[in-house]
Amino acid sequence: MSEIKITGYKCKACGRVHYPKHEQCLTCKGRDFEPLTPDGNARLLAYTQIFNLPWGFDERFLIIGVGEFENGIKAMGQIKADSLDKIKTGMELKPSWEPVRHQYGEPVYGLKFKPLE
Amino acid sequence: MRDVAIIGVGMIPFGRRDQDSLVDMLAYASLKALDDAQLGDKAVDAVYVANMGGGILQHQTAIASALVDRLSLLPAAADTVENGPASGASAVKNGVLAVASGYYDVVLVAGGEKMREVSGWRATDFVATLTHPEVEYPYGITLPGMAGMFTRLYMEKYGLTREMLTAVAIKNQTVGTLNPYAHVTMAITKEGILESPHSVVNNPIIADPLHLYDACPISDGAAAVLLCPLEMAKKLTKHTPVVIAGFGQATDTHTLQEREDPTDLKAVTLAAQQAFTMAGIGPEDIDVAELHDAFTILEVAESEHVGFFKKGEGGKAALAGRTKLGGEIPINVSGGLKARGHPVGATGVAQVVDITWQLRHELPEGRQVLGATYGLTVNFGGFGNNVLSLILKRSA
Repeated sequence: MSEIKITGYKCKACGRVHYPKHEQCLTCKGRDFEPLTPDGNARLLAYTQIFNLPWGFDERFLIIGVGEFENGIKAMGQIKADSLDKIKTGMELKPSWEPVRHQYGEPVYGLKFKPLE
Repeated sequence: MRDVAIIGVGMIPFGRRDQDSLVDMLAYASLKALDDAQLGDKAVDAVYVANMGGGILQHQTAIASALVDRLSLLPAAADTVENGPASGASAVKNGVLAVASGYYDVVLVAGGEKMREVSGWRATDFVATLTHPEVEYPYGITLPGMAGMFTRLYMEKYGLTREMLTAVAIKNQTVGTLNPYAHVTMAITKEGILESPHSVVNNPIIADPLHLYDACPISDGAAAVLLCPLEMAKKLTKHTPVVIAGFGQATDTHTLQEREDPTDLKAVTLAAQQAFTMAGIGPEDIDVAELHDAFTILEVAESEHVGFFKKGEGGKAALAGRTKLGGEIPINVSGGLKARGHPVGATGVAQVVDITWQLRHELPEGRQVLGATYGLTVNFGGFGNNVLSLILKRSA
């Protein structure tokens, strides 16, 4: 499994963690950031199962959620599950970096989460 | 700053309009507004056109230039305003500022979108282009998907139920049957979409926990308003002038995940507060509202964030009938986006057209809020990252 290619940005002035990148801190307008990589597993903050997919997806549905990593990075990803039966807000997720779609025949890599029992 | 009046309004029926191009629709709605205004020999100084998808869906740009030419309004100034699903109210706001400043006297604002000539697959992808291009869009997230996540958070935090959301859907589609401009004119029942065994088929999940009848349709359509100084309107128009009493606009983070409380639609609250301050009134003074119910959850959440109800009370209010015609604050008596439809660039303008008809007291029984003096709109861009609110007043 390849590394998770996400970079968060922690404001050196106030400590707020940003993802995606901002040129100025959302809280204090600071411009100096410490780059962060996702740390450990994530906790599920929000999720949905989408049945009407946009152009570019052939799946019957997608389960998409937002996870919060242990160092505060919050990121969207696809959840690896067959249904929402065992998905719960607050559950632990194991992240991975895998193809999330294909464009022009090439894989596009992104974040996936595997729910942990 | 001069007081700005709406001197003419026009709309064409929303729905599937295969026979009309985008500029056709904008032109038809604009002519209706020009005729309604009875402008005489007054020239239109400027035209603002709200459109989100011409470049993507029709492979056509510079829509405002095309419209002024089509209407032979040359050499009027012409600008296209693209602000996602809030393009309509953004264009109205820019028109109001242009007249209020004294720079232009007569301004036409038209909003339109043609979404039905592509497949639902493509239309869903088009609207999803407003999500973050690196951290949201690649995952296949859609606007219904964003609304689904938001709805679940609202359910978990406030105890919102499907029954409450269903009440919004039934209310808006019921009144939509009385609106000749509405895309959806089919009444629905609680049994049919929530309670009967067939409801699973009638009303499938589209973005859990949202179902088909929680969402607006994909529509073609256009609407237009004509603005001028209030003093000019009093001399020109046969109608009771309706003035723009207040407006507000605010932004929030591009992604939902970066909001401290993702159930808090700060931009809605701030936009409404600005509009109320400018108008010198409060939520209790509003007689009728057009809220951006692209999904039933948004009508509920916006009704709370503009101050009609406390947080967590909007769903209960809808279920109790407090937002119906005849209730304490009638919301979306047009049928809203849910029934009128949501041609994205047209929506914010259409909301202003509907409120203007309400404040002129021109609508038929079953749709008219009796004695309405103040009306409010919310036009919700992105997933709450760019929101406008307008307050209109029937001029004495």
